[in-house]
Amino acid sequence: MDLNIRYMIDTFFLALTGVPVTLSITAVALLVSAPIAFFMAISRIYNIRIVKQVVSAYVSFIRGTPVVLQILIIYSLLPSWLNAMIKSLSWDINIFDMNPVIYAYIVFSLNTCAGLSEIFRSALLTVNKGQLEAALSIGMSAVQAYTRIIIPQAMVSALPNICNLTINLIKGTSLAFMMTVKEVTSIAKIAASYGYNYIESYLDILIIYILLCSVIQALFALVEKRIGSYKTLTGSAAKAV
Amino acid sequence: MRPFRFLFIPEVLFDLLPFLPVTLMMFAGSVFFGSLLGFVLARAKVRGRKVSGILADAYIAVMRCTPPIVLLFIVYYGLPELLLSTIGLDINAIEKGIFVLVTFTLLFGAVMSEIMRSAYESIDKGQWEAAVSIGLSPFQAFYRIMLPQATAVALPNFSNVLINLMKDGSLAFTIGLIDIMGKGNLIISKNFGAYALETYMALALIYWTLTLIIEKSFGYIEKSLSRGKRSIAE
Amino acid sequence: MLELKNIHKSFNNNEVLKGVSIRVKKGDVIVILGPSGSGKTTLLRCINFLERADKGEIFFDDLRVNIRTASPADISRIRKRTAFVFQNYNLFNNKTALENVTEGLITARKVPKPEAIEIAKKALSKVGLSDRENYYPSKLSGGQQQRVAIARAIAVNPDVILFDEPTSALDPELTGEVLAVMKQLAREGVTMVVVTHEMSFARDVANHIVFMDGGVVIEEGSPDEIFSRPREDRTKQFLSRILPVWDYVI
Repeated sequence: MDLNIRYMIDTFFLALTGVPVTLSITAVALLVSAPIAFFMAISRIYNIRIVKQVVSAYVSFIRGTPVVLQILIIYSLLPSWLNAMIKSLSWDINIFDMNPVIYAYIVFSLNTCAGLSEIFRSALLTVNKGQLEAALSIGMSAVQAYTRIIIPQAMVSALPNICNLTINLIKGTSLAFMMTVKEVTSIAKIAASYGYNYIESYLDILIIYILLCSVIQALFALVEKRIGSYKTLTGSAAKAV
Repeated sequence: MRPFRFLFIPEVLFDLLPFLPVTLMMFAGSVFFGSLLGFVLARAKVRGRKVSGILADAYIAVMRCTPPIVLLFIVYYGLPELLLSTIGLDINAIEKGIFVLVTFTLLFGAVMSEIMRSAYESIDKGQWEAAVSIGLSPFQAFYRIMLPQATAVALPNFSNVLINLMKDGSLAFTIGLIDIMGKGNLIISKNFGAYALETYMALALIYWTLTLIIEKSFGYIEKSLSRGKRSIAE
Repeated sequence: MLELKNIHKSFNNNEVLKGVSIRVKKGDVIVILGPSGSGKTTLLRCINFLERADKGEIFFDDLRVNIRTASPADISRIRKRTAFVFQNYNLFNNKTALENVTEGLITARKVPKPEAIEIAKKALSKVGLSDRENYYPSKLSGGQQQRVAIARAIAVNPDVILFDEPTSALDPELTGEVLAVMKQLAREGVTMVVVTHEMSFARDVANHIVFMDGGVVIEEGSPDEIFSRPREDRTKQFLSRILPVWDYVI
């Protein structure tokens, strides 16, 4: 089996130009879904009627269906919806000129909401109820208790799961090519179709994903060490870190 | 915009369900071979031999970063060439299902090995020592004492990765396998793109149901296992 | 200063408090005794609104609160005038000992940070833990954690401190250091309501004992009255089970 090394190197750098798009989908999905997921988690922990049922059904559906189906459903649904909306608002935008990355933002945000809310829920539940009581007993408000005491502690147990979710999200964005988004996979795929250099292209993609995921994992490891220090270190040692 | 035809969903379900066995066979095959691979990898790590441990680690790390669709394409385009150039075996005409099976075995093996290892390591070493001390052989100690306890620990994770495997398996249509997803796409193109949304909804319903079945049955097993545990504690 | 009137509380149709009233004067050290399940802890938690009682009133000097209609502002006002010491300490795991003490001052009471640190350092030195200011709870022994929790309670300068079995989660050899701190506070005139099984503390430090059983106050009085001349049978029964052991220890 001969690999066309020259082609592989060229395509590698070509595919690298898709990294910003891949990362932007990941970042937007995480940032958009974080606050929503938090309130979804809270609604389930505190058994808020109706909201809780809706959230549970939503999480179950997203968890129960493949991302590729979610993409296909949204992609066959959203353009015509958006078109109808834009027409009714009589804006002067042609929906079909819009950058398809918008669809990727929407699909992956919807998907991430569900996963993140599950992570937040179980992380919040790991914090002992006494922590909340102690905070209230010294006169903090519920919001203060959450932002200063509960969430920082919950983050420690949530981080490894958030890392996993991020890795899976990055891997999942490789499916955005189905929506003609120009990210890493689609760029290399298109390059491959000119000269049938499929294996070279896919190996390039693989290397890029390995690099991306390794960097993400290293970053998370760093953060984990930082915010988890209270579990293992005494104060003087913690200051030195 | 064409109106959504709700009644098309049950109609298309009838056309899709005959292909469910293909999906399930791919799933079951990947679970079986992937678990075998996972066991080998986990064993390599637990034993702490240097070279094999590092190799297993590297393999798991690479697989963790690999998008399933990318691996699927690499296997689909690469494996025939690799086998042809190394051992002269021509598998170009082979069933597409084999490529799917190979891909998801490779992926699932890595995931499974991590679950097996962490479950095994979560069991107190004293359990094994106690078993050996009363005269069980190392194999008996593993099989009769460690394995049942580790299985109980691994169950929740196992349910999760099974669900993920089944969902990832939906990508097999991209190399032309005719499972439920493949059939769904055939139906859509036969209808010249009409009723695409209805067809996808029907597929979503099938996957959702399968997920719920896995989830509920594992929930049931976990419950019955933990019931046993509590009664011992009492 | 603090008065509870006719407090009722049920959990799932199980009535734990059946109309309890107690009165706390400034400088009082009140010990609530009673067998487990008698509702002592629930009563204490109701004062601080950690449990919301079903019925009853709380009078705090001029503040009169009907528990059923208490607004969040009322609850916040009462919480700011009380402090709570938990059975299992509940120190904030993500904060150092010093930060645990400053947290309520800075966040809830808007005390400027330098001032809060100064107060906190004084509070920690009062419980004898000046050298542990920068330790996280996971690095402190149970007794030390409980002393930090007491420092956290006294730092906010509450009108009354509520102690919920502060020594029952501790190994016997560690209870002494916590009780010593509590005795010191009593000597300084801090108002305390204490649920405990430490009979020596009740007899030597309290000026008023409340004996509860089955969700009601059976009898109350000075330690001398309760320990030497209990009037009610249930009190006698309870003491006879506990006191011989205690006499022997002394």
